[in-house]
Amino acid sequence: MDYPDQFDVIVVGGGHAGTEAAAAAARMGVRTLLLTQSIETIGQMSCNPAIGGIGKSHLVAEIDALDGIMAKAADAAGIHFKILNARKGPAVRATRAQADRVLYKNAVRKMLEQQPNLSLFQQSVVDFVIQNNTITGVVTQMGLVFSCRCVVLTTGTFLGGKIHIGTENHAGGRAGDAPSIALAHRLRALPFRVGRLKTGTPPRIDGRSVDFSNLEVQPGDDPRPVMSDLCTSMDHPRQVNCFITRTNPQTHKIIQDNLSRSALCSGAIEGVGPRYCPSIEDKVVRFADKNEHQIFIEPEGLNTTELYPNGISTSLPFDAQLAFVRSIEGFAKAHITRPGYAIEYDYFDPRDLTHSLQTKVLDGLFFAGQINGTTGYEEAGAQGLLAGINAARKSQHQATWEPRRDEAYIGVMVDDLVNLGTSEPYRMFTSRAEYRLRLRQDNADQRLHELGLHLGVIGEQRAQHFAAKMHQLESLRSQLASAKVQPNSALAAALLSLIGVGVSKDTDLLELLRRPDVNAASIATILAGHIGTQQASTATMRGADLLGQIEIETKYAGYIKRQDNEIAKIRRHEGMSLPQGLRYNDIDGLSNELRFKLSDARPATLARAARIPGMTPAALSILLVYAKKFAHGDSAATG
Amino acid sequence: MVSASLHSDLIAAVATPPGQGGIGIVRLSGHGAKSLAEKVAQAKLEPRKAVFTKFFHAGQVLDEGLVILFPRPNSFTGEEVVEFQGHGSPVVLQLLLNTLCEQGARLARPGEFSERAYLNGKMDLAQAEAIADLIASASATAARGAMRSLQGEFSARVNALAAGLEKLRIFVEAAIDFPDEDVDILADHQVLTNIQQLRQQLADLLAQTQQGQLLAEGASVTLLGAPNTGKSSLLNVLAGEEAAIVTDIPGTTRDLLKVDLIIGGIPIRLVDTAGLRETSERVEQLGIERAQKQAQLAEVILVVVDASQGQDIDEEVSRLCGLSELRVGDKRIFVVMNKQDLVSRIDTNTTYAICHVSAKTGDGMEILRQHIQQRVGFVAQEAPFTARARHVDALQVASAALQQAQDCLQNKHETEIVAEELRLAHNALGEIVGTVSADDLLGKIFSEFCIGK
Repeated sequence: MDYPDQFDVIVVGGGHAGTEAAAAAARMGVRTLLLTQSIETIGQMSCNPAIGGIGKSHLVAEIDALDGIMAKAADAAGIHFKILNARKGPAVRATRAQADRVLYKNAVRKMLEQQPNLSLFQQSVVDFVIQNNTITGVVTQMGLVFSCRCVVLTTGTFLGGKIHIGTENHAGGRAGDAPSIALAHRLRALPFRVGRLKTGTPPRIDGRSVDFSNLEVQPGDDPRPVMSDLCTSMDHPRQVNCFITRTNPQTHKIIQDNLSRSALCSGAIEGVGPRYCPSIEDKVVRFADKNEHQIFIEPEGLNTTELYPNGISTSLPFDAQLAFVRSIEGFAKAHITRPGYAIEYDYFDPRDLTHSLQTKVLDGLFFAGQINGTTGYEEAGAQGLLAGINAARKSQHQATWEPRRDEAYIGVMVDDLVNLGTSEPYRMFTSRAEYRLRLRQDNADQRLHELGLHLGVIGEQRAQHFAAKMHQLESLRSQLASAKVQPNSALAAALLSLIGVGVSKDTDLLELLRRPDVNAASIATILAGHIGTQQASTATMRGADLLGQIEIETKYAGYIKRQDNEIAKIRRHEGMSLPQGLRYNDIDGLSNELRFKLSDARPATLARAARIPGMTPAALSILLVYAKKFAHGDSAATG
Repeated sequence: MVSASLHSDLIAAVATPPGQGGIGIVRLSGHGAKSLAEKVAQAKLEPRKAVFTKFFHAGQVLDEGLVILFPRPNSFTGEEVVEFQGHGSPVVLQLLLNTLCEQGARLARPGEFSERAYLNGKMDLAQAEAIADLIASASATAARGAMRSLQGEFSARVNALAAGLEKLRIFVEAAIDFPDEDVDILADHQVLTNIQQLRQQLADLLAQTQQGQLLAEGASVTLLGAPNTGKSSLLNVLAGEEAAIVTDIPGTTRDLLKVDLIIGGIPIRLVDTAGLRETSERVEQLGIERAQKQAQLAEVILVVVDASQGQDIDEEVSRLCGLSELRVGDKRIFVVMNKQDLVSRIDTNTTYAICHVSAKTGDGMEILRQHIQQRVGFVAQEAPFTARARHVDALQVASAALQQAQDCLQNKHETEIVAEELRLAHNALGEIVGTVSADDLLGKIFSEFCIGK
């Protein structure tokens, strides 16, 4: 039957990409439907129970800045919080939360259920309705037809999913869930480039069978960081510890002895796995000189004894898994609750997408998450947000948002994917962002709020919160600028005794903050104890954050300016579009390698062409010359 | 839509061919050309009015000559252009160029003046191919020039520097992106030591490059052909007619004969090579290998064919290309039909540019020299001179960034700042040896460190 209600945006999949996409479209006021195989598994964390980490928490902060759900869910479910890279600089500083799986899932589902304009429906999608190369609806397993203007597909590892444990394998989307075979067939019939990727999980262990007495304890940070601008640590549930243990030569010997029975080494797996997240088999083989590898023992939740031993993902047969696990300190009597496994799945070459995440193949169809060859909840969520926003925009005939590399990590990720594709599961790292010093976690809201308001994706509560923060920041700045320290004054003496800094002429606190030997903490001390204009804001955690932000602004001003210049230069190339019909093979003066890469990537702008590896300034000039010729209607090198 | 504003930044280059000439011209184009020129010339400029003045650098007189302002859009590039016409000495021109670049201009890329002229509608749209060609060949010339004049040593050393820098960045980036792993870099003195070593290598290279120890001037024209086609006679005739300025360089190798001469004001190094033929004889094979190498580095390749043998020209050139590992249809190839005195028929039915001469009677030699001048002039228009200056420029940027990185490290600044300075240094070297993407860097991190929990 045809479902009677009409939708603007249909999101297929209820994982981290799907939930952000559906919530974003609904926040923008369009009629949105989320279709999932199972409402029970909405917001499920299929891999390790953690949100954030280096590069990743930057994405979470950006999702939060655009009023998404991931950061808020992480605060509602986080049972262990840590700041990473605390001393390596504000731009690479990151936050990581271990989450209670059940609390996380519940938080996500609650936010979706409270979201106006959003409906949930439990059915798997088996087909699309297509008219004139445009998607106009989807068909579910019981033959129900939903019509809509745009579809966001977020099927994760479920497309053609295959699970490997040792030499055994079976079809599956996640341990315990069915894969989407029909949809995979349907998509393979369309002219998309399809590839296979692989990822793995470790065996889960019952905490009651672990001896913690000799394990290194890793407590959470105090003071405890938060993920969302709208939350405080008061929103967090009870906190617990993590632990660290290590493999040993005996563990490595057991793995070596069983290698021939591993799915990886038997040749049963064709997909490419991530180099930064190798299985324990991989580590033992490739780094044979190492006698031990760290294992982070992460609790799965407050109301379960299950543990996630991060660092030993494996596809060895179960008996070998049990043997090597029991050779590890603390695990001598370990009981495995779920075997580890490797999963292979289809992904679609993201070079078949535009920067809005719409496919080039079908108008109105968007892809987000693991289907695009990425890995990680945060990467998926960020893409979901972008695809949801753009599907909503498109359904209303509005221009889509194509985030830039200098404005957000989301922009870096999308540009990397669309421009270069990926041959392994793509994960975010801060080193991928050339403008890293600008793209900080602390300024994600300042980078994206205006834009979010323009897109209509930001709600009232966040808009007020942001306005208040900006107001406080401004007044703190002027307070610092007007607080003068005069030589030989009482304040100067206090400064000298407190932080060992002397002044030789009238200096305001803002100037003082610019000096390398003065930091936000010392300024806070001066403000609090000696100026007497202490405001409520500086006494709170938030106040300290604001002062910290002003410190970064002043200390990094030179670097930011230099990057601004670099960006301005590239921005000019951004405005130069390259005709899609350009016949690169006919352009003299380009190397064969570049002709091939350009024909493959068909970059939309000169700036994107510039990021193709091996591109030279001369080749760019040549492209510019031909683009100009094309623009004047001469079609000699086009067609 | 293509916008001309893409190129608003100020560029400078020597506009006259390299070498000693009566007049040397340095051209400045882009936004702010007039105000910069007025500062250097210490004179007020008016449109299209030649002003005779001195050129200054830091209060010192560099040279004297004419300065002319061409306001936009009525200039060569369509932008604000200023021409400095001074003395032709390469050293003086270089100093003037340095002065302009220190005060806000940047060195033009190969072909960039023509590119801007084209983009601003100063040239016919039909010339797109020619302009693209110019950019491609000028860039290739610059690369070949650097390789040749710096005897390949320069590239090797820049590559070594880039590799060292990459290693360093791998450590620093790994420390940032993988703090859970046992990669604690900044506590390690190795990083500081490595930066210091790189700085020393960079300083040595810069010093040598600036002193010109590794440099040699002149475009390269190479003679290629089968044995006994008259290559050596051609060389003698070309050199003999310019006898007054020929300097014979005694054979660096037994079978490459090099002669420096000037044709139409352009310094040229003419190189004769061993006759090309299939051979198993060891010494002859070595000669042919040298000829192959030489052909790769040349701006112009004169393929000499014995006209009296009556072969099909295209077939003969293809055969020689095969022997010398050149691409058939290489645009640097120019065919010289020698021994024309022995045949009456003149065959012009070929895909290559062709010239009919007789080294014996001297017939056609004037036309050959004009051809060489035109060919070399085309690519030399944006001087290898600038290419080299650009390299020096990039090395200086890298050097400054490394210095900063070291200071930051010693003053215990944030790791991310050290990483930023290293990125800038790497980018600068990348302008010479090609850029490295973040993904390349990550790949190296994964292969060096056991990453991943």
